[in-house]
Amino acid sequence: MVKSRLYRILSRIIDIRPGEEIIASLLFLYFFFIMFPYYIIKPYRDAKYIIKEGSEYLPIAYLTTAIVVGIVVAFYSRLQARVPRRVLIILCLVFFMVTCLISQRLFVKEEKFIWMPLVFWVWANLFIVVLGTQFWILANDVFNPREAKRLIGFFGSGGLLGGIFGALLTGFLGRKDPDLLLLIAFGILILSIFVVNLIFIWQRRKGSPDDKAEKKDKEKGAEPAKVGFIDCFNTVRKNNYLTLLAVVVILTFVVATFIDYQSKTVIDIHEERMDEMTSLFGYFHAALLGLPFLISMFMTGGIIKRFGIRLTLLLFPLLLLLCAFGIGIWPVFGWALAIKTSDKSLSFSLNQFTRELLYIPISPELKYKAKVFIDMFLNRFAKGLGALILMIFLIPFFRDFTQPSVMQKAEVFDKPGVLETTDESQRIDELELVDKRIRRVRFASAFSVIFIFAWVFFNIKVSKEYTKIVKDKIKIKWDRADRMVAEKLDVDYTKLVFDTIESRNRSSILYAMHIFDLIKQDKLTPEVKKLISYKSDEVKASSLGGLFESGETALLPETDEIISEDVLGKEIGEIMSLDVYQEVMKSYVENALRDEGVESETARMEVAKAIGLMESESPLAEKLGELLWDASPEVSKYALESAAKLRKKEYVPALIKKLFNPITREDASVALEKYGDRVIGALSDYLSDRDEDIELRKGTASVLARIGTQDAGDCLMWELEEGKGEIDTELIDALDRIRSEKPGVQFREDIVETKILREIKKYCLTFIKHFGTKSKRKKAEMTKGLPEELNVSLMNVFKLFGFIYLREDIMRAYQNIQVGTKDSVDYAIELLDNTLKKEMREIVIPLMEDLALDERVKRCRNCLKDFSRPNRKNA
Amino acid sequence: MEINAREKEDIVIFDIEGEIRRSDISDITLHQLVKNQLDSGKRNILLNFQNVEFIDSFGVGEILASYISTNNLGGKMKIAKISKKLYLVFQVTMLTKVLEIFDDEEVALDSFNKE
Repeated sequence: MVKSRLYRILSRIIDIRPGEEIIASLLFLYFFFIMFPYYIIKPYRDAKYIIKEGSEYLPIAYLTTAIVVGIVVAFYSRLQARVPRRVLIILCLVFFMVTCLISQRLFVKEEKFIWMPLVFWVWANLFIVVLGTQFWILANDVFNPREAKRLIGFFGSGGLLGGIFGALLTGFLGRKDPDLLLLIAFGILILSIFVVNLIFIWQRRKGSPDDKAEKKDKEKGAEPAKVGFIDCFNTVRKNNYLTLLAVVVILTFVVATFIDYQSKTVIDIHEERMDEMTSLFGYFHAALLGLPFLISMFMTGGIIKRFGIRLTLLLFPLLLLLCAFGIGIWPVFGWALAIKTSDKSLSFSLNQFTRELLYIPISPELKYKAKVFIDMFLNRFAKGLGALILMIFLIPFFRDFTQPSVMQKAEVFDKPGVLETTDESQRIDELELVDKRIRRVRFASAFSVIFIFAWVFFNIKVSKEYTKIVKDKIKIKWDRADRMVAEKLDVDYTKLVFDTIESRNRSSILYAMHIFDLIKQDKLTPEVKKLISYKSDEVKASSLGGLFESGETALLPETDEIISEDVLGKEIGEIMSLDVYQEVMKSYVENALRDEGVESETARMEVAKAIGLMESESPLAEKLGELLWDASPEVSKYALESAAKLRKKEYVPALIKKLFNPITREDASVALEKYGDRVIGALSDYLSDRDEDIELRKGTASVLARIGTQDAGDCLMWELEEGKGEIDTELIDALDRIRSEKPGVQFREDIVETKILREIKKYCLTFIKHFGTKSKRKKAEMTKGLPEELNVSLMNVFKLFGFIYLREDIMRAYQNIQVGTKDSVDYAIELLDNTLKKEMREIVIPLMEDLALDERVKRCRNCLKDFSRPNRKNA
Repeated sequence: MEINAREKEDIVIFDIEGEIRRSDISDITLHQLVKNQLDSGKRNILLNFQNVEFIDSFGVGEILASYISTNNLGGKMKIAKISKKLYLVFQVTMLTKVLEIFDDEEVALDSFNKE
């Protein structure tokens, strides 16, 4: 991809990928042009209201806002369902431009319109609620979580920069000509319309999912769904994740209301004059936004990347908790500034951005409804709720509080607003008012602490739920086939049927023994059951002969009676256990074994099969050892099958040796599996014997996987730890099979983690070996996919992760990284980001990201450098 | 038994001739051949059974082992042109529940592309 100049500039300051620079810049500007006017409007609103009404009446403003916003949300949600998004955004921008101009005119004659401060307060809140929500919905649609994590700091900082400019301008003009401010806000909103248009043009060119859905609806002539306030509310109520998000938002804004009240009350103690207050709020906001701007621009991405969503969500409430304690103990200007600074700097950067990330994995339909309800209504409602709590609890209680201490009074007297008063009675009134306000601030602090604890609790819950939502965005693409085959198919039965058919042409004895096996195992299809239950003449006409289109018929002994499975088994067992039978058959067996030619192969097969029907202690069973070593794979197969039935210890070495030969490997594996835990010691010896053939060792690993007990897992894990790595892939695969079939089997975390690091190191070295050169040919190879050894290495890493984390999650991530779309790769990485431990996350995730080849080589090199650190030496 | 491999649109087709039974294996097994293809990065395997007369339990094991190895790597293994007689046995033993079987090679190849 061609790298534009804009990309080259932006890539120096943020983690941006080619192709993202235009939309990220447009969103930066969009947010800038919304927040610039808002930070002119906000200090203007605060100053007008506090000067005209006083901070005591702030709760009324909060409450009125909550009610009005509720009504507006009901109207807006219906509008959103009917009007295309682009038109709706522009309509809203025009509405706020016009009303901004009207407000400016009304404030000029404010003596006539005494209700203006309250109306303007509500209007200003609507401004940020509507335009802010529209911005975040748009940004949410454009990016997936990984992209948003990287870029949210950047385009979010656009809003903060706009805020700084707006607040600085207000600080400057607030003293000179405050009425000019709203005209400037009007002018800037015009620019935002232009940017919004550009964003939608970009989206159309890219063919955004939203755009496509809209087109489809148009083609279908679909009527827009009737979406109202109740529908939005029900959407949130019925969805556990959205309900948690709503609770988090309520708690965030209730606490914000308390903090706002506390800081404004302290500032109210300080400043009385309107122009000075406007100016103070302007500079205060500018200063407060400078910090979050720096945090957003340069730190947000890094913080989220480093701590993950879960911890990042906790940073803000924990800092506020500290400040709430501080201001509660010592309610002075310094702490008010600290708590407000913490609130503003983190709520507008880390907290809001992280909260926005929580919306991204939700489906667009749910998201639009949820955001309208939560971001537009609920946050104002929460402010109203906070205000109601303040009103209910603060006003009646402050009369009963004790008088402030002498020291506190001295601090209060130092305040400019108090010292400037000359009249003694007014001075006493002022003092009492200040005392009351201090007590309220303290009481509000106590409430803040309680609500912050609840906030932390729900933040933890919502972040856990977020991982589940991310997980649901990506699908498992395949499961271990051995598990699936075992679930869907009875492999023993299948093989038995094939052997029965095969033996029919070879030997009637073998055929009869197979039928007997089918009877014993009660694994007969109705057709076969019919075969053994009726007279042979009828069978000839109806059953297997017809079924398998063969001219030959079953060579079963004829009988007029239905053969009972139990009776047949008992009778055969009794005959074979007779001493005389063993004696008579001994010479026959010896003769058959003596003649190793092809002609007597069938006889040896019959003997090998027959021994499996005898007791393990019968004299003839001793002959099985010889048959296991028979040169004929057919004889060997029946001998292995009988060995699996008799399970005698002395057969084990022969069975293990049979793992070497690909023709006998499967039958030997099945036989050894039947021994279960008893054979683990012997298998372990072969597995760890470096002088033994490597194919045989791989075979033993596979058998241990089939056995699948904790002991088998421990044995494989021991070899994984102690081995030289030559059969690591087979060991890891065997352990993965156990993990997939028996999730209860546990593996030692320390061994697994060490192995993961080694495997990652191997991956990096291989990657650099393949692509570290500047050769164009090598780079061209990359477009065809990773070389197989890298694929194997990567697969091993993920299988190993599956041993210590939930295997299903890890496999889901791995499969989507391997064969997913760009979005599903990003969701897979996001899932890993929220699943793996920090130290593993830091190593693995940079290697998984879809980057240019050179960048990936660089990351592999960095990773190897990281491995040379003392605490990673074990890798 | 004789097995020849050819490739079509990134799909490896094994043309098998004769009977897949343990007594007929002289050099390399079907599973080993499939594994070799998987090791070279191929993920789509088609077994052409047009000239397969019969298979024994070893053959079943080889087919299932090949299927498992392919699917465990996220690949697909399918079978085409199986005889009616063999298909009936596959049905009776429920192998058809696991294996995707097609009458026609082209249809089988198309099915890979559709996924």
